Amino acid sequence: MSFRLYNYVLSGNCYKVRLFASLLGVSYESIAVDFHPGQEHKGEKLLQISPAETLPIMLADDMVLTETSAMLGWMASKFDAGKNWWPVNEPTKITLIIQWLGFASDLTLTIGEARLHSMLNRDVDVDRALAGGKRALRLLEARLTEQSLRGSQWLVGENPTIADIACFPYAALAPDAGLEHDDYPVIRNWLYAIRSLDGFVTMPGIHEVHKLRDTENTL
Amino acid sequence: MTTEPVGLSVNLPSQRVMQARVGDADIAVWRGVSGKLSAWLNRCPHRGMRLSHGFVRGESLACLYHGWHYGSDGVCNYIPAHPDLEPPGTIQTTVFSIIDQDGVLWVSVDGAAGGQDLPGDSKPVRSITFSCSAKAAKDALIGSSVADGSGGELSIHDIAEGSNRLEFKSANGLNSVVVLLQQPSDQSMIAHILAAGDWSVDGMIGISRWSETVRRQAERTKNVPNSDCQDEL
Ligand SMILES: N[C@@H](CCC(=O)N[C@@H](CS)C(=O)NCC(=O)O)C(=O)O
Ligand code: FES
Repeated sequence: MSFRLYNYVLSGNCYKVRLFASLLGVSYESIAVDFHPGQEHKGEKLLQISPAETLPIMLADDMVLTETSAMLGWMASKFDAGKNWWPVNEPTKITLIIQWLGFASDLTLTIGEARLHSMLNRDVDVDRALAGGKRALRLLEARLTEQSLRGSQWLVGENPTIADIACFPYAALAPDAGLEHDDYPVIRNWLYAIRSLDGFVTMPGIHEVHKLRDTENTL
Repeated sequence: MTTEPVGLSVNLPSQRVMQARVGDADIAVWRGVSGKLSAWLNRCPHRGMRLSHGFVRGESLACLYHGWHYGSDGVCNYIPAHPDLEPPGTIQTTVFSIIDQDGVLWVSVDGAAGGQDLPGDSKPVRSITFSCSAKAAKDALIGSSVADGSGGELSIHDIAEGSNRLEFKSANGLNSVVVLLQQPSDQSMIAHILAAGDWSVDGMIGISRWSETVRRQAERTKNVPNSDCQDEL
């Protein structure tokens, strides 16, 4: 077993780990947690493992991790021999990746919050969350526009990195929160590029790229 | 209703769909595997699902809801629930005229789309949406000048009466920035921006950042009443 993941299917943060594990071809042990309506992540059993009251929780190499940035970094260091996803030998790139990992947390706090409201009727300041989400999408669109003018479709450098994985779920789930992608053409192209990666997996609200099949009857 | 620019060609690769608005019409714009463009009313003839949520299969667009396929002529050519049935030719989408001219997609909802010529070497920069009235957006654009990245400036050169096109030119006339305006609603405006002449990557990035500066200015003057700017466009 490579690691253990306390997991919830509708969580964009848990999905970061599931997606990256699949892209790396790493198998792991998944423990389903009843986040809603059970609030199991706030129950004594899980608080004994992590008192953070958030999902996901990852148990890896004797560590208890509650930050998805750390989880993605650990998985890349451990399983990506080519050092593409987390290019430790390139100072500028890893610095920018850390920058965008921080930005990914802003996406959770804005689009993620607004989505909790629209999907689970969570009591949040929706106007604030949506305004923050729009600001975040504009920053992402601007960065990806500049990258595309440089000839890259990825957030940092010329290849996908853990920064793309960290920012992908909540950018992709923005319509669930009420923020459509219509005004963000370059984000749309980037989402499509990630969905086209070998080993891509879906979650509810994020579907795969529909490929041509021999038979259409599977629809 | 004249022809409206709805996007930059680079932002709609083959086998992709996007949403656009021309006047009151909500439109699905898509490209077949061969690159062929179509623009349709964004409403599936079956149950009304937005076709811009659909996906492209070869030279057909499939609706996300029940998977009905429509060929580039807009006629339904496949119904997954009845795979052996040849759909009656009467099931069809509302088809509009679209052309790709010099890297810009133009749609008309009444008659043939006619694009505009751009300087020969125009390169796409970006499409950027302003959340403000058309007047506020246009005023902010006209009132600004674009830095060329090496100390010079491009100033506003051409604003034809009622035009949705602004052109900025360098002092020597060799470099220009063309801004094509699309007005999807009373409270938003899309600027499709292209650069012609000799531009480095940093220069192009500079144009993108300039558009964000202008947007911040325009959105600060948000509360400009909107009725008069409609005619102006
Ligand atoms: N700091 C963590 C936060 C993870 C997080 O916010 N997870 C959400 C679920 S997607 C959560 O558990 N929220 C707690 C709650 O809503 O009760 C990270 O960025 O990885
Ligand atoms: S609504 Fe489009 S196929 Fe049913």
